[in-house]
Amino acid sequence: MQSEKKITFLDRLRTMRETEFGAFLPVLFALAAIWGYFGFILPLHDLITGEAESFRAIFLSPRNIYNLFMQSAVIAALAVGITVVLLLGEIDLSAAATAGVCAALLGVLVLSGVPGFFACLIVIFVGIIMGAAQGLLVAYVGIPSFVVTLAGLLGYQGLMQKILPTGNLNVGDPFVRSIARLLIPDMWGLFLALVVFILFALTTVRKQLQRKEKGLELDNKLTVWFQIIVFGIILISAVLTLNAYRSLPLLLVLLIAFTALLDWITKSTPYGRSLFAVGGNSESARRVGMKIKRIRVSAFAIVGLMAAIGGIFGASRYGSVSYTAFAGGSLLLEAIGAAVIGGTSLFGGRGSVWNAILGALVIGSLGNGLDLSGASAADKLMVSGAILLLAVAIDALSRNSAGGR
Amino acid sequence: MTSKKDLVGQEAPPAHLIVRGIDKSFGGLQALREADFEVARGEVMALVGDNGAGKSTLMKVLAGAYSADAGSFFLDGNSVSIKSPNDASDLGIQIVYQDLALCENLDVAANLSLGAEPVKAGWSFLPHFLRPIDNLEMESKANKAIKRLQVRTLHSVRAKVSGLSGGQRQAIAIARAVGTESSVVMLDEPTAALGVAQTYQVLQVVKRLRDTNHAVVYISHNMQDIFDVSDRITVLRHGQNVATYITSKTTPDEVVMAMTKGIDKNSSGSIQNAI
Ligand SMILES: Nc1ncnc2c1ncn2[C@@H]1O[C@H](COP(=O)(O)OP(=O)(O)O)[C@@H](O)[C@H]1O
Ligand SMILES: [Mg+2]
Repeated sequence: MQSEKKITFLDRLRTMRETEFGAFLPVLFALAAIWGYFGFILPLHDLITGEAESFRAIFLSPRNIYNLFMQSAVIAALAVGITVVLLLGEIDLSAAATAGVCAALLGVLVLSGVPGFFACLIVIFVGIIMGAAQGLLVAYVGIPSFVVTLAGLLGYQGLMQKILPTGNLNVGDPFVRSIARLLIPDMWGLFLALVVFILFALTTVRKQLQRKEKGLELDNKLTVWFQIIVFGIILISAVLTLNAYRSLPLLLVLLIAFTALLDWITKSTPYGRSLFAVGGNSESARRVGMKIKRIRVSAFAIVGLMAAIGGIFGASRYGSVSYTAFAGGSLLLEAIGAAVIGGTSLFGGRGSVWNAILGALVIGSLGNGLDLSGASAADKLMVSGAILLLAVAIDALSRNSAGGR
Repeated sequence: MTSKKDLVGQEAPPAHLIVRGIDKSFGGLQALREADFEVARGEVMALVGDNGAGKSTLMKVLAGAYSADAGSFFLDGNSVSIKSPNDASDLGIQIVYQDLALCENLDVAANLSLGAEPVKAGWSFLPHFLRPIDNLEMESKANKAIKRLQVRTLHSVRAKVSGLSGGQRQAIAIARAVGTESSVVMLDEPTAALGVAQTYQVLQVVKRLRDTNHAVVYISHNMQDIFDVSDRITVLRHGQNVATYITSKTTPDEVVMAMTKGIDKNSSGSIQNAI
């Protein structure tokens, strides 16, 4: 019944981004392009022009990849949380400051003799409260989230300075340090990856069989296998690369586990569906009886949770907590950038926490690659800005073509 | 409540939902004045009137979105009270709003189950809102609902609503209202924004609702649509009943006249109950 329309490039883009797997492709391409540039084209260029004696494959070396993953982990943890509020069409500018407060508190707690494990639990609880408090202001008082979290950003930055008057604190607690230091033995890491891969393949195939049994429309066979194979290749090669330098660090396993859990919650549960519904059309959500205010509060609580986890990751990796590494630095913008570059819409209702991880890798790779090639901090800022703008432009364009009929 | 008054001539069944003497004012403005209304199962009752006549207000009173200042409600002859949207939906009264309120970012199946997603069995250790959604069940339900209304142009219940045409969206919104055990479905100007082909599609869906023994209330401005789809026509003017016509025994001219000027008390015999 629809009139014949020319299928434009934008239409294609939109259709692609609407499938679950298709939403990954732009950010995967971006990542591949960045890796190809820094890992292959740039060294080749240097070799041909005689700037380097040999092909310098530093960027794609296992050691650098390992560092890249670890560097991106804190950004990723925050980006995953921010994605959840972006789904609602809200924003959280206080995530990095929350992470800073949590990390500082963690440092102070373990210094005063609280066991590392309990300190982590306390800090996670505090993070959740800090997020939920802002959510309450957004949902029940009706202040725009931009304003609430901007105030939160300032307030929490101040709070962090109060907790850390010197702006710096070493964290030596063995439990906290072990999160980043503990390595899963090579064989176990590979085994874990294989198990995850097999589970993924089995559930995908089983879903397809159940669809057939119930007479429901089937997914494209090619897409299904492509999906399974791409997933397998990425997973196994990531673990092999990490093994080639050290091993799979516990920190990454934890990050992936939290992300997988949040992905499941947002995609497969009534609660997650309500996040998407509120982000897509809150009036519609209200009419079917969803408790919109509580949903808003909970989403901000999730950002607080992930910010606390990011703070713990950071403290564990650096072995110290500093004001500039969290609240005062570029972490917030990198995390929001990561979520958006991953393809989560700033307009609400579309996105995925996995994409935030990939977005964080894009941001991390850019910084890392530019560092290696000797670019200045100024170059880094400008390139990051351009990439972010590009991602938001793609988001806006694919949204316009959806609404403009 | 089986007096002569509730019967529509000889051929109509007794009314399913009856309201009498509804008053509703907004501040100083009286939107409904002693309004009466009824609809039977298996019929389409059109509700017409000029802009501001009180059609939407009456419908919202029936749906519990507004509570009436005065008036009584009867369902199958029993007195009921409708004070909130929940009251209405518990009684099986569903409204399809002018702004459809679909989530464009979700697919058809998700929209049809929105707020009542089926969850998989065996996860009872989790609170309900964290149990896994049974997507296959949800899709089967959606397929059934779509088939029931014979929305033929819709190819997949996994299509995002953002990609659907106006008529398809209207059909989805209707399917959602019908899906939840409803006996009364009310549509507020469902074809106002649609082209000819889309309108035809929606009218087909409305006819399907009648065939499945729903009581359908249909608000529209379009006389052609009304005469195509309705069994009876209730005319409102300045918040008051003017008349209720049997569609097959009246003409568009007569209805338009009643809408705009009220009626001449001693006109034709097609009027069922004039005031
Ligand atoms: N929520 C409201 N607040 C104040 N006045 C209203 C409200 N809803 C409707 N009205 C008024 O009540 C009258 C009837 O409106 P409505 O039922 O929407 O008319 P119709 O749908 O027949 O065009 C109008 O004069 C309108 O301005
Ligand atoms: Mg109206």
